[in-house]
Amino acid sequence: MNAVLQILGLFFTAGLWQLALELGALLLLPALGGTISERSGVVNIAMEGMMLTGAFTAVVTDLVWHNALLATLAAAISGGLMALIHAVVSIRFRADQIISGFAINIFAFGLTTFLIDKMTNFQGAAHVPQAYTLPVITVPVLSNIPFLGQVLFQQNIMVYVALALLVGMNIMLFRTRLGLRIRAVGEHPQAADTAGINVYTLRYGAVIASGLLSGLGGAFLSIGINNVFLPNMTDGAGYIALAAMIFGKWKPFGAFVACMIFGIGEAIYANNSTIHISQYLLNTLPYILTIVVLAAFVGKSAAPAADGLPYEPGVE
Amino acid sequence: MTTPATSQRRPQAPIAPEIPERIQRVGKALVAPLASVLFAFAVGAIIILFSGGNPIEAYQGLFCGGLGVFCTGDTYGSVAAPYRISETLVFTTPLILTGFSVAIAFRAGLFNIGGEGQLIMGAISSAVVGIHFATWPGWLLLPATLLAGILGGAVWGGIVGVLKAYTGAHEVVTTIMLNYVAIFFLQYLVTGGPLQLPGQTQVSPPIGVGANLPKLFPQAAQVFGLPGSVYRVHTGIFIALICAGIFYFLLMRTTLGYEIRAVGQSQRAARYAGVSAQRTIVKTMLIAGAFAGLAGAIQTTGIYHNLPIGYQNDTTGFDAIGVALLGQNSAIGVILSAILFAALHVGSSVMQSNAGVPASLVAMLQGLILFSIAANFLRSMKLRLPALRQAPVGTAPLPPGVAAIETEMDSSAELDTDVKA
Amino acid sequence: MSTEIREKGAWPASEQQPLAVEMREITKTWPGVVADDRVHFDVRKGEIHALIGENGAGKSTLMNILYGLLHADSGTISINGQPAQIRGPRDAIALGIGMVHQHFMLIPVLTVGENIVLGREPVTNGDFYDRSGASQRIHDISSRYGLSIDPNTRTGDLPVGLQQRVEILKVLYRGADILILDEPTGVLTPQETQDLFVVLRELVKQGKTIIFISHKLREVLEISDRVTVLRRGKVIGTVPTKETSEEQLARMMVGRDVLLRVDKQPAKPGQVALRVEHLNVKNERDLPAVRDLSLELRSGEILGIAGVEGNGQSELVEALAGTRPVASGHIWVGDKEITNSGARKTRKAGMGHIPEDRRGTGLVLNYSIADNMIFGRQRDTAFSWRGFVLLLSSIFSWAKRLIAQYDVRTPSAETPARALSGGNQQKVIVARELGSQPRVLLASQPTRGVDIGAIEFIHRQLVAQRDTGAAILLVSAELEEIRSLSDRIAVLYEGQIVSMESPEVSEERLGLLMTGGGTRTAQG
Repeated sequence: MNAVLQILGLFFTAGLWQLALELGALLLLPALGGTISERSGVVNIAMEGMMLTGAFTAVVTDLVWHNALLATLAAAISGGLMALIHAVVSIRFRADQIISGFAINIFAFGLTTFLIDKMTNFQGAAHVPQAYTLPVITVPVLSNIPFLGQVLFQQNIMVYVALALLVGMNIMLFRTRLGLRIRAVGEHPQAADTAGINVYTLRYGAVIASGLLSGLGGAFLSIGINNVFLPNMTDGAGYIALAAMIFGKWKPFGAFVACMIFGIGEAIYANNSTIHISQYLLNTLPYILTIVVLAAFVGKSAAPAADGLPYEPGVE
Repeated sequence: MTTPATSQRRPQAPIAPEIPERIQRVGKALVAPLASVLFAFAVGAIIILFSGGNPIEAYQGLFCGGLGVFCTGDTYGSVAAPYRISETLVFTTPLILTGFSVAIAFRAGLFNIGGEGQLIMGAISSAVVGIHFATWPGWLLLPATLLAGILGGAVWGGIVGVLKAYTGAHEVVTTIMLNYVAIFFLQYLVTGGPLQLPGQTQVSPPIGVGANLPKLFPQAAQVFGLPGSVYRVHTGIFIALICAGIFYFLLMRTTLGYEIRAVGQSQRAARYAGVSAQRTIVKTMLIAGAFAGLAGAIQTTGIYHNLPIGYQNDTTGFDAIGVALLGQNSAIGVILSAILFAALHVGSSVMQSNAGVPASLVAMLQGLILFSIAANFLRSMKLRLPALRQAPVGTAPLPPGVAAIETEMDSSAELDTDVKA
Repeated sequence: MSTEIREKGAWPASEQQPLAVEMREITKTWPGVVADDRVHFDVRKGEIHALIGENGAGKSTLMNILYGLLHADSGTISINGQPAQIRGPRDAIALGIGMVHQHFMLIPVLTVGENIVLGREPVTNGDFYDRSGASQRIHDISSRYGLSIDPNTRTGDLPVGLQQRVEILKVLYRGADILILDEPTGVLTPQETQDLFVVLRELVKQGKTIIFISHKLREVLEISDRVTVLRRGKVIGTVPTKETSEEQLARMMVGRDVLLRVDKQPAKPGQVALRVEHLNVKNERDLPAVRDLSLELRSGEILGIAGVEGNGQSELVEALAGTRPVASGHIWVGDKEITNSGARKTRKAGMGHIPEDRRGTGLVLNYSIADNMIFGRQRDTAFSWRGFVLLLSSIFSWAKRLIAQYDVRTPSAETPARALSGGNQQKVIVARELGSQPRVLLASQPTRGVDIGAIEFIHRQLVAQRDTGAAILLVSAELEEIRSLSDRIAVLYEGQIVSMESPEVSEERLGLLMTGGGTRTAQG
């Protein structure tokens, strides 16, 4: 009882919401990636691996060039390259997309661990000095608003980027020609193909975009939040993003709501030192919540109709 | 794998008698897995080269460390082969069992990424029984402990089955979530929770001695020049092999297995045949969980004899996906690929310490094997290089009946797209 | 231009027209099969040219090549006299070719407008989709050709006839001059078919060229100017419609005279084998599909169900077979009630079922033929010990017997069903369902998509089964099949039996009844 009250009390602190938004934004980037990929009809469970690749690349690039912006770009590109493998295997070779995505995750884990071991002579960790990391932007004036100022206007630059991408993705998917075509390809690739739309180009593009976004998420993690690369440091964030995407019914804002729920869960966990229940038990809550929400509210019908089905022209 | 070309086997042509046809099929079944392993090793060699290592030395280390072969030369001459083989068998046992867990789910069209969580729940349940009834005699305690593991895993798998069957929640997501829940639950139990051994950190009290699986070698004697106690290999490997028989029989010789395979092909077809897809999915996941849970119980009774927190770094349940796929979800295949994966795992430490190539190469190899199985590069090559085929296939009139008259729809639709039902 | 030798003066009006499409020496092979074999195909500007042939004759393949969906192994194509490289649908569209596919290429979740303009969307401000611009253009086209439609409806909610209209508008929106219609009447009511023909004539009047794929000879004779017949990938000939007859076209299609009538004795109906009372069944969208339907079926007779697809036939059969829940009402096989008792018990009570969807429902394609031969009866004591352990030797001897008896052409009983041709796959199902001597047999589209030899074989087997006392409920989209096999015909309209007819009933009357007495407007 006491614990519940303590948790409720946390909700009235700006610190909790500030952290929740930061962690929510971290999940949002790969979740948006998953959304665009699956909207085009390619199932993507590889955000975990693409994020991990991005996190690694960001740290290494930053250590070499001392430039966070460049490191972030490199991270996005490395995520995109991983995604390209998934795209080739699942579009060109029509592989089972879940297996391919799973393979990406294992491969990325192996590759980044292998390389960090090689580079650090088996130290297994590479730290980035604070000076080269992604900065926190404190918006003048606005950040002085009580409560909201701290939550919304004292955030890492990547939080703003993620929110901008959220809005942009929503407009792109539902207001533009490109979005209409991506959705068409994900729903009924034959129909799109016969209308003269290049199914493969759009699917490759969407999958690569998912890699770019997940790579950004990785950079945010390793040079925005943690300032270090450790093997398997994503620790399931990509999978949580996947759950958030489904939770959000393959819609950007839906995914954002789900990411915030996870972010709040993680933030409570991080502020938990004063609460007298096991932090491990507390930690299971977001996962159990996801299962409950999946079971209770999200029907199968929300997924794009051709999600996960390879496309071959001329076959009905 | 069948292309319409096979439908052109003409009745009047000499039909191969049944046994050669079967052998042919076995041969075909071996080609793809072997090719994907070779592909993975080839790409791995390139990566080693680029990172400044020596692929031959590295692979020699993998095989010497894992299988006790090629242990020659200055680098590996001193490696104790029997000990390495014993270690590989220790890892093979849970891999076989979790491999069956993943494989039976695949046969029903389900992707069980939850082998790890089910294994952990099996380990927890068996430890609880092993600790709580520590004073029971071995003939009672050991079976009870194993059974508890089976039940623990089955419950964890069964949850996934029920959710999938009755709410449509995708098993990939629910199994991933349940893996985390299981790991945190384990951490809770041994970190300030009810199973923590007082005065110790993050470990439970030992299970009753009666619940320990016998070792394969006498602990007191000298075995292959080393004290018998260094060999961890235990009788659990026989349990795994018995389970292979059970797996095969269940899948291929029982009506339940028949129905599981039907559901995996097409749920509509299953309904037509009076098979409840929902109930079959639940049963499949219960069985899948049971196999993985038994793996956990065997780890408890054969290796740890308590509940350690170390499972948080265990990857058996994930490796099992590669084991099942490489083994083409068959009993023999799963055993063989479990041995391979275990050998890679065990050999990687020897490779790292002796050849200086990071052990995580093995994870890359696993990823590459999965890619190549998933993409089925071999089949794709054949399909896409028409030059390799005879240009226009004989224009002679097709034999009646076998003539694939429906080819406008069928011939190129040879993707296994039945999953959508 | 065309130098092909033809009888001169046969069709002087269109003879003068230049060629819109010239396909030369088109060959397309699938692994092991030649779909099109050095095909020559010409279409004149402004004509309706019918392309006919049996299933698998190569019609759709040829047209998919013309539309760029498939690529020929060899051969050339000229459009309006110019040699053309058609690498994909985009090239085809650019050349003024449009295709209305047999299975509609519409995206149910998008609006009518979005479906029509997809691929050529009007945009504003760079890349923003211009909804009102799209509506305006669609309005222009639909009023010009008399094809009214609301662009803001969700496409999936439209009846079939209107979905086809959306398809035609899609093609016209892209400025097509040459329209390919692949089996356009397959899903339409006779009334909708007539509406379609009015539209087609209007399009030709406005200068369009139409290629009309069909295997329905009457429609071809009614609408086309010329007919090209394909058989097993080869052109058998091109004839002006005015100079040919149904019989001649049928001969060209199958290479011999078709037995339009099935040889059978008059039925000797016995006891009631299937009784249905006040049956109500809902469809996937939870709407009533079968409404208060009652019928009696006697052993030794075939009752045909005639109706336009989508009037509750599938739901009726599935409810009878135990694979779809019954909302209310009762079903008896003999004197055993089987309402809502599931497929297994229903089958045990003596119900056989040839399902309409062969590949997805009736077979497990990766199973061996032997395994497929017990599909649905796997727990029978004949094939399994107490319903748990499969008895492999009994299964194999059973399968081998049926393979021989029903002439299934297969290398062995272990061959996966996937490797068989469509006709042989269907024979496996027929063998399995008839082989267990059911009291009642539900035969749903038993010959859909199989070759003529298999059709005749299956028809003979059904009649033989009737003569040994089975009660057969036959559902088919082919009126010809219904009329030639049935002893009585029930007309199903909007989930109800609106009339019982004798097999001598005229096709016109059936057509009228199938559309609700001809009083209603076009609906799917």
